[in-house]
Amino acid sequence: MSAPTAARPQKAAPRTRTSRSGGARLEERAGWLLTLPFLLLFLVFTAWPVIQSVFFSFTDIRNKDLRTPFAVDFVWFEQYAKAFADPVFQQAAFNTIYFVVVGVPLTIIVALAAAIALNNGISRFRAFFRLGFYTPVITSIVAVAVVWRFLLHPDSGLVNTVLGWIGINGPNWLGSTTWAMPSLIAMAVWRNFGTGMIIFLAGLQAVPTQLLEAASIDGAGPWQRFRNVVLPIIRPTVLFVMVTTTIGYLQFFEEPFVMTKGGPLNSTISASMYTYQQFSFGNYGFAAALSYLIFVVIAIITAIQFKFLSEKGD
Amino acid sequence: MRLSLKVVALAAGTALALTGCGRDEGNNGGGGDTPTAQAVDTAKASGTLEVWAMGAEGEKLPELVKEFTDAHPDIKVNVTPVPWDSAHDKFVNSITAGTTPDVAMVGTTWMGEFVGMDALDPTPSSIDLAGFFPGAVDTTKVGGTSYAVPWYVETRMAYYRTDIAEKAGVTEVPTGQDEFKQMAAKMKEQDGVKWGISLQPGRTGSWQTVLPLAWSRGAEIADDKGYTFDTPAMVSTVDYYGSFFKDGISDPNPPEGQTEADFVSGAVPMFVSGPWMMSLVEDLAKQDGDAAFADKYDVAPIPTADGGQSSSFIGGSNLAVFKATKSRDAAWTLVEWLSQPETQVKWYGLTSDLPSLQSAWEDDTLAKDAKLAKFGEALKTAKVPPTFPSFEQVIESFDNEIEKVAKQGLSGADAMKAAQAQADSIGTGA
Repeated sequence: MSAPTAARPQKAAPRTRTSRSGGARLEERAGWLLTLPFLLLFLVFTAWPVIQSVFFSFTDIRNKDLRTPFAVDFVWFEQYAKAFADPVFQQAAFNTIYFVVVGVPLTIIVALAAAIALNNGISRFRAFFRLGFYTPVITSIVAVAVVWRFLLHPDSGLVNTVLGWIGINGPNWLGSTTWAMPSLIAMAVWRNFGTGMIIFLAGLQAVPTQLLEAASIDGAGPWQRFRNVVLPIIRPTVLFVMVTTTIGYLQFFEEPFVMTKGGPLNSTISASMYTYQQFSFGNYGFAAALSYLIFVVIAIITAIQFKFLSEKGD
Repeated sequence: MRLSLKVVALAAGTALALTGCGRDEGNNGGGGDTPTAQAVDTAKASGTLEVWAMGAEGEKLPELVKEFTDAHPDIKVNVTPVPWDSAHDKFVNSITAGTTPDVAMVGTTWMGEFVGMDALDPTPSSIDLAGFFPGAVDTTKVGGTSYAVPWYVETRMAYYRTDIAEKAGVTEVPTGQDEFKQMAAKMKEQDGVKWGISLQPGRTGSWQTVLPLAWSRGAEIADDKGYTFDTPAMVSTVDYYGSFFKDGISDPNPPEGQTEADFVSGAVPMFVSGPWMMSLVEDLAKQDGDAAFADKYDVAPIPTADGGQSSSFIGGSNLAVFKATKSRDAAWTLVEWLSQPETQVKWYGLTSDLPSLQSAWEDDTLAKDAKLAKFGEALKTAKVPPTFPSFEQVIESFDNEIEKVAKQGLSGADAMKAAQAQADSIGTGA
């Protein structure tokens, strides 16, 4: 590293190497030293807890056992078996899948549509709309919940008032087992599409205009241009948005937690919310097992998405 | 990301447990052993006290405590307000980490859990619990031993609009449950009334309405060994509760947070709730320009049936001293001072929290208010659910069954069979 070392003749290669590696070792040591604070924090507050929670998912630990965590009984896969047999968790898993299957495509379509509109729209209002569409993402979920509860109120809410004008008697959105989940999906899509939109916008702006012009000259219409020019170029962006949205939606938690508390009749309880509930009841072993079930599902689905979408891109 | 946060929280809590397990492992779930409950020396007590309190209590307590520290210059008191949302987790974490406060306000349904974790100091023999409402004292007891002093109480009564009742030809609220339901049905027939009575169709906290009706039918949800939901008296109560929804007297899908507004407008002229509703409905009516609303409604005890005694649900909070305190004498001195009748009346003036001490109710501020006096009467026979550590979890599954009864017409027998099965699989948690 230092000038004399570098200036040594080639002949002294062996010695140079030792002296060089000595410098490198020093550098390495300094590097470790500098990352040590982070490493310590990571080990204590992330790595160790993760290992511990795996351990706990194989035990029957409850809150009263916290003082003696090494004295708890090993039950191996009993907590996992319990999860599969639990009717509430089955319902929660179904609700989560429902939410992902309907919510993810909707979010991506809305995000992509908004991004295309913004990319092609009148430039004067672009910044305004970009801000407007992104604002829900950074708004506190509690504020969002209050506003949406007003909107969805069965008697005085705006949604039912508007429906009333055209002669439709709107349901009690959040109080009905049929409509509560669609209401939450609508809210989640509205709240989350902004993130995808921003990323799509960046992807769309990277599409070379010459290609689009060339396609136009060859006689391609707007749909053909989108299908054959834009989409292949932004495929990695689509993959990214799809994977992150799916992961986020598989952990579906805040919307039911603040809006419906999982009701009515458990029709909106999600896997994460059920895990949280079990955790707050002090069933730590069971909650840890539920967390790992969700983790495994997320890992599998993400792997499938990667395989499917990146192969097509090649 | 949200999930990983939770995993971290889970493990961080237990990491604290690992470092904090220096003290003996208390595995006494409040079973047969009688703790010492040594008397405290209040005269020479000194030290610094850390006090935790939730909600409005946490904000107003420093004001009250100033008088205490003026009288006891050797004792310093730091009050930390804790938000209700995070209070339970904060307590559990502090217990496992050994960083508990000296004195704290403890929700009545947490007592079993905290005592199960060996965190609370038994009430010393020098504090006389005889003057408190018996139901409130029961909330402090786990396995027969008292671990706190009742601080403030609340109980549930039936609110009804006297003006609408008069139109319906009801001059006196019936004490029988069948007649009570008929009254609600008659109320529904009046002009401008949409539903006879607002009853919670299941979900969090609906047990607080169902249990008083059950107790007033002579039912019990637990004995010494565990939960007893599948008794004939419980089943008939749940069927009775469900019939309000089946017969169209109560709304099975009420919009949230409408109870007060519907009561003031007369759309739903009856509901069951606690004393805090008095100021809520009166303030709401005042906003609508009706300053005399207080004369248009009254409260009535929970109706009875099958020879039961009218027993409402008693809630509120207790004051507990944590075992790890270094100033045990000073801590109990403060608790004792907060349980004096004069202090309790002053506290009512600051927070509208109802005194847990019966003699405080003789004070004019409380005795002169006719409705409040009725709450005082109802408190004498009000009861508490069992203090098993698993209570919160068990009652949640009970609430879910009530929801099925109200919204899907599930029979009381099926609902209570399911609730019992879940209670049996969860156990008492001890």
